[in-house]
Amino acid sequence: MAATMDLVGRAGAGPREAAAWSRRQVLMTNLRSIRGRAYPRVIGLVREPSWVLFEILLPFLGTSAFVFVYRALDAPPQYVGFVVLGGALTAFWLNVIWMMANQLYWEKSQGNLELYFAAPMHFMAILFGMAVGGMVMSSTRAATVLLIAGTVYGVAFSVDQWALLLGVFVLTLGALYGLGMVLASLFLVWGREAWHMGQMLTEPVYFVSGLNFPVARLGFVGALSVAVIPLATGLDAMRQLAFSDAAFPIGTPPPVVEVAILGAMTVISILGARWMLATMERRARRDGRLSVRWQ
Amino acid sequence: MTAMAGPAATGIDGARFDPSRTEGRGLADTLRSFKVAVLLGWKLEANWTDPFLFFIYSVAKPLSSALILVVMLEVIGGPAGKAFRPFVIVGSALWAFVLNGVAGLAWSVLEDRERYRVLKYVYVSPADFLTVLVGRGVARIGVGLAGVVITLMVGVIALGVPFDIGRVDWPMLVAVSALGLASIIGLGLLMAGVCIQTRQESWSYPEAFAGALFLVTGAVFPLVVLPAPVQIVGLLTPLTWWIAGTRQALFPGGPGSVGGPGSAFASTFGHPDPSAGEIVLALLVTGTVVTLAAVAVFRLSDRRAKRTGLYDRTTGS
Repeated sequence: MAATMDLVGRAGAGPREAAAWSRRQVLMTNLRSIRGRAYPRVIGLVREPSWVLFEILLPFLGTSAFVFVYRALDAPPQYVGFVVLGGALTAFWLNVIWMMANQLYWEKSQGNLELYFAAPMHFMAILFGMAVGGMVMSSTRAATVLLIAGTVYGVAFSVDQWALLLGVFVLTLGALYGLGMVLASLFLVWGREAWHMGQMLTEPVYFVSGLNFPVARLGFVGALSVAVIPLATGLDAMRQLAFSDAAFPIGTPPPVVEVAILGAMTVISILGARWMLATMERRARRDGRLSVRWQ
Repeated sequence: MTAMAGPAATGIDGARFDPSRTEGRGLADTLRSFKVAVLLGWKLEANWTDPFLFFIYSVAKPLSSALILVVMLEVIGGPAGKAFRPFVIVGSALWAFVLNGVAGLAWSVLEDRERYRVLKYVYVSPADFLTVLVGRGVARIGVGLAGVVITLMVGVIALGVPFDIGRVDWPMLVAVSALGLASIIGLGLLMAGVCIQTRQESWSYPEAFAGALFLVTGAVFPLVVLPAPVQIVGLLTPLTWWIAGTRQALFPGGPGSVGGPGSAFASTFGHPDPSAGEIVLALLVTGTVVTLAAVAVFRLSDRRAKRTGLYDRTTGS
C-alpha cells in the first residue's frame, strides 16, 4: 500500500484503486503533458543557437530572393510587402510540416514513440504540446523575419482594422496547427514517405497558396486553396488587412468571411485530428508499425 | 593462433596470397566503389515507393518553384513578362540539381551517422570514403535530373517558352553542364565536411547554404539588382556562371543574369555582357578553386573527425 502510494503519488487501497483517476487527475496530467511537450521547443529558442539562426535565416533568404525578383520587375512596393508577409508565415508552415506532421515519424525513428503511447496521458496532449511549443517558437521567428525583412526592404504596412488582423492571425495559427495535428496522426503510419510528403507539402503548397502573389490570380485553384488550406486563407486575409491601400485582384472573399472559414477549419481540424489519431493508432497497432524504424 | 584466424578460415590462400591486394587495385577499385555508391544512393532514395510516385515527388518541388515565379511575372509584367519566362524556368529548373547535390552529400553523412548509424561501418570498409560520398552525391543529382527535365518540358510545352532545338549551343551546354555539376559536387563535399563536424541540428545547414547561393547566383533574377559587393560574391561563385552558361546555350540572345548596364561585371570588365568563352573560362576557374578548396576542407574535417571520434558519435537526431 505504501509502496503503491509512493509509486503513483495518490492514495488507494491497491493498484486498481490507484489506477482509477479522478477527472481532475486526468486533466492535470494532460495539462502537464502539454507543458512538458511544449517545453523543449520553447526552451530550445535559447538553448540551441543554430535553430534560431537557421530558422530565421532560411525564411529570410527565401523571402529576399522573391523580393529581388519583384525589384527586378519594378513591381509596386506593396508586392514586396506581400512577399515579406508570406515569408514570415512560412516560418509557421515549415514548423507545421517538419515539427508537427513529421514529428511522430522522427520520434518513431528515435524510439520515443513507444514511450508516448505507454505514458498515462491522452496522445492529443502530446499533439497540443507540440503545437503550443511550435507556435511560440515560430512566432518569434516570424516576428524576427517580419521585422528584419520589413526594415531592410522598407515595407510600409497600412492597417485599418488591427483587432480583425490580430483575430485573423490567431485563427490562422489555430487552423494551421490543427492541420498539423491531423497530418501528424496521418504520418504515424508512414515510413520514409513521410519525409517526401513533407517536401510535397512545401513548394507546391506555397504555389497554390499564393505565397508571393495574390492568390486570386490562380482563379479556381486559388479559390479552392482559400477554402481548404489555412495558409492560403490566413495569408489572403492578412494581406487584405495589412495592405488596405493596395489594389487587389477580385476573386477572394473579404477578411470577415475568411475569419469564418479559418474558425471552421480550426474546429474541424482539431476534431479531425482526434478521430484520425484514434484511427491511425489502431491501424498502426494492427500492422505493427508503431515501433518499426527506418522503413 | 586459432584455426579460425588461419588462411583457410579467411578464404585467403596463404601460399598464393598477394600482399599488394591489401593496397587495392587503384583506379579499378575506385570505380567499383563509385559505382556501388551510386547504386546504393539511388536505392536509398528511390526504393521506398513505386517509380511513378517517386517521379511525382521528384518533380513537384522544382515545378512548383518555377510556377510561383511564372505567376509573379504574369502578375507584374503581364504579357511583357513572357520575355523573362525562359530566364526563370531555366534558373528554377537547374536549382533542383543544386538542392539535391549540395544537400545530398551532407544528408548522406547525417543519415548514415544519425539515423541509420552505419557511417562508421561505411568508413572502415575498403572503399575510399570520399569516393563513396561522391557516388551518393551523383545519385542525388540523378534524382534531381527528373525535376530539371520535367520543369523545362512544362516550360516549353505548357507555358509557351520559345525553345528552338536547332539554336542550342551544344558544345557550350555540354561544357558548362560538366563543369557546373562537378562544382555542385564540390560544394556538396564542402557541406559534408562541415556536417561531419557539427551536431544533430545540421540538417538545415545545406538548405541554408543553398538558400544563400540562390540569392547571389542570378538563378531567378539578374545580379544587377543586388548591391555591388554582393554581385562580386556572385561572380566568384561557379554556380552563377553555370546557370548563365546554360541559359545562353539553351536560349541564345535571351536575357542574361550576369551583366547588364551598371552591373559589377560591366564596370569590372568594360563590356556589358560576358561572351560564351568568358562564361566557360570563369566557370572553369571558379569551379576548380571551389572544388579544390572543398576537397581540402573535407580532408581536414575527415582527419579531425577521426582524431576526435566523431564518426562513431551520434547526437540523437
